[in-house]
Amino acid sequence: MIADTQNFKPFNPDPIAVLSQSGDWIAPFALTLDDETLKTIYKHMLAARLLDERFIKLQRSGKMSFVAPHSGHEAPQVAAAHAISKGTDWLFPYYRDYAMTLALGQSVLEILAQTTGSRLDTAKARQMPMHPGSKTLNIFTGASAIASHIPPAVGTAISMKIRETGQAVLTSFGDGATSEGDFHAAINYAGAKGAPIVFLCENNRLAISVDFNKQTGSETIAIKAKAYGMPGYLVDGMDVLACYYVLKECVENARAGLGPSLVEAQVMRFGAHSSADDDTVYRSKEELELMRQRDPILRMRRFLEKQGLWSDKAEEKFIKETQLAFQTALDTLAEAEKVPLEWMFDDVYAELLPHLAQQKKEFLG
Amino acid sequence: MQTIVQTVARTLAEEMRRDDRVVVMGEDVGKRGGVFLATEGLFDQFGPDRVMDTPLSEAAIIGAAVGMAVHGLRPVAEIQFADYIFPGFDQLVSQAAKLRYRSGGIFHAPMVVRMPAGGGVKGGHHHSQNPESHFIHTPGLKVVYPSTPTDIKGLLKTAIRDEDPVIFMEPKRLYRAIKEDVPEDIEFTIPLGQAKVLRQGTDLVLISYGGSMAETSKAAEELAKQQISAELIDLRSLMPWDKETVLKSVARLGRVVLVSESPHTLNFMSEVSATICEEILDSLLAPPIRVTGFDTPYPYAQDREYLPGPNRILRAVQKVLEY
Repeated sequence: MIADTQNFKPFNPDPIAVLSQSGDWIAPFALTLDDETLKTIYKHMLAARLLDERFIKLQRSGKMSFVAPHSGHEAPQVAAAHAISKGTDWLFPYYRDYAMTLALGQSVLEILAQTTGSRLDTAKARQMPMHPGSKTLNIFTGASAIASHIPPAVGTAISMKIRETGQAVLTSFGDGATSEGDFHAAINYAGAKGAPIVFLCENNRLAISVDFNKQTGSETIAIKAKAYGMPGYLVDGMDVLACYYVLKECVENARAGLGPSLVEAQVMRFGAHSSADDDTVYRSKEELELMRQRDPILRMRRFLEKQGLWSDKAEEKFIKETQLAFQTALDTLAEAEKVPLEWMFDDVYAELLPHLAQQKKEFLG
Repeated sequence: MQTIVQTVARTLAEEMRRDDRVVVMGEDVGKRGGVFLATEGLFDQFGPDRVMDTPLSEAAIIGAAVGMAVHGLRPVAEIQFADYIFPGFDQLVSQAAKLRYRSGGIFHAPMVVRMPAGGGVKGGHHHSQNPESHFIHTPGLKVVYPSTPTDIKGLLKTAIRDEDPVIFMEPKRLYRAIKEDVPEDIEFTIPLGQAKVLRQGTDLVLISYGGSMAETSKAAEELAKQQISAELIDLRSLMPWDKETVLKSVARLGRVVLVSESPHTLNFMSEVSATICEEILDSLLAPPIRVTGFDTPYPYAQDREYLPGPNRILRAVQKVLEY
């Protein structure tokens, strides 16, 4: 399954893990990350969990119209952010990826400005919550249509290849997305082109309520890579370091001209699909309880504690700081002015076309 | 003297020489030079990295073009027939058209999607359609549909240099039907949203665009023989469209016939007609009449009859003159 170096063998039948549930290093190769990086990875996961909890509170108090909780998905998301080169490589995330953009360096203010539809949103409050984007971090602003960001991700990767820029793309999506034609069209093109891109499937085995075995007859998503002419890796998506090492290798291979890869991270969705969903209709409390025992944050914490890198005190301090940062951002947002009505007509085109100018004029009086 | 399809290839070559960000992509656009030869010679001049044969997937072609444009290229994608846009339609509607708006302007997709469109080639309903209304009804897309080699050159250049996604429809039954001298200037461009008055008239206005310009011009010539003077306008650009030129002519003459071969209901000419009625009703001497394709799939056996030909146009002219 794992070679004695960090070179992973594709099409492994069992998910790749490097940490045991109790937080022991079980990989046949040596850990290469320094203490600071390990702590940062953990902090990113924890901050993302706190952000998710805050999202839900904000939704319940009417400040956000919608949430797609990412709890349980933190490991591959944070790992992806650490595996790519910030501001050089490109990220094409989906709607459940705020742990990824947070870990890549998107500010809490920027994230909350988007999710609360504030005037301070860099995307001018044009989309419902859960649609990240950033020019400086090369985060492509996605659409809601499932899998529709994957063909553009491949286009960007092809551009990198033909212009030999040495960059790579990472795009993520859920298991449901793999049933869309866009997934096939895109990954097939990437395979034919040898484009520098990593496809990351965050497989939580649920597309809202539809179970994975109704989504596909395929045993895994990773195995589909074979037909597209690229390696496929099955990874324990609750093991952040396994996700990191596999994604890192795939990104480096992409940059080195070795072509695309598909990584399937087996995750568990702790929350409902979204704030508009009631998951108690289609799954039991016991099922959820079992999932939570495999919490990716707990596993990484056990590992750090065994290394003497983390403590209850550190945890308490970090939570306090993070909550304060959230509050500071929310206070700033509370003071922001309302989104101007005239923004409705801007950015449809580079210039305000005559018919839109007329509509704007008539509407605003 | 050159045809429309030759002009497409030559204009692409000029723009690719001018700007090395311009790339051409699509099915068979490489060595084959396109099934209509609209990219003939480009592969030999610019090589496989700038003239890219793609998999047979319109979603991949249009989606990848969006990603390339975001990364700084200027892709010109060919969809082999306008009829095959639909597998790529979501990429146009959800990605290309909305990217600038949804990102608040931090990302945008300067790209051109070229496609041969229109009937009269015995292609049946999957090689004859005119889907422009779908595109025009999608905010964020610009749409042009020229009808002459000169306009093809000027508008294709403008489309490639534009900062937004432009749908560039080419009248395929006119691909080799017209030959004319085309301005040689590599900076010859025509702004989007500018109609062309081809013929001044005193009795009524005939307006059309794309392939139907051929039949509409014929009708105007026929009318001239009958001492009826028609003012003839080629819209050329549908989003944005040149309302001023249209309203000016129609207000002056009070009678107008609108010709377009796409299906009747929600034909783009319905929009033109509604605008005329809303803005210059008092100057009208007769209701505007649309002469269009029918609300059926494009037929095979009745390939020519489906098109709004000179006879149908002349009947409509008679109606507005006698009103």
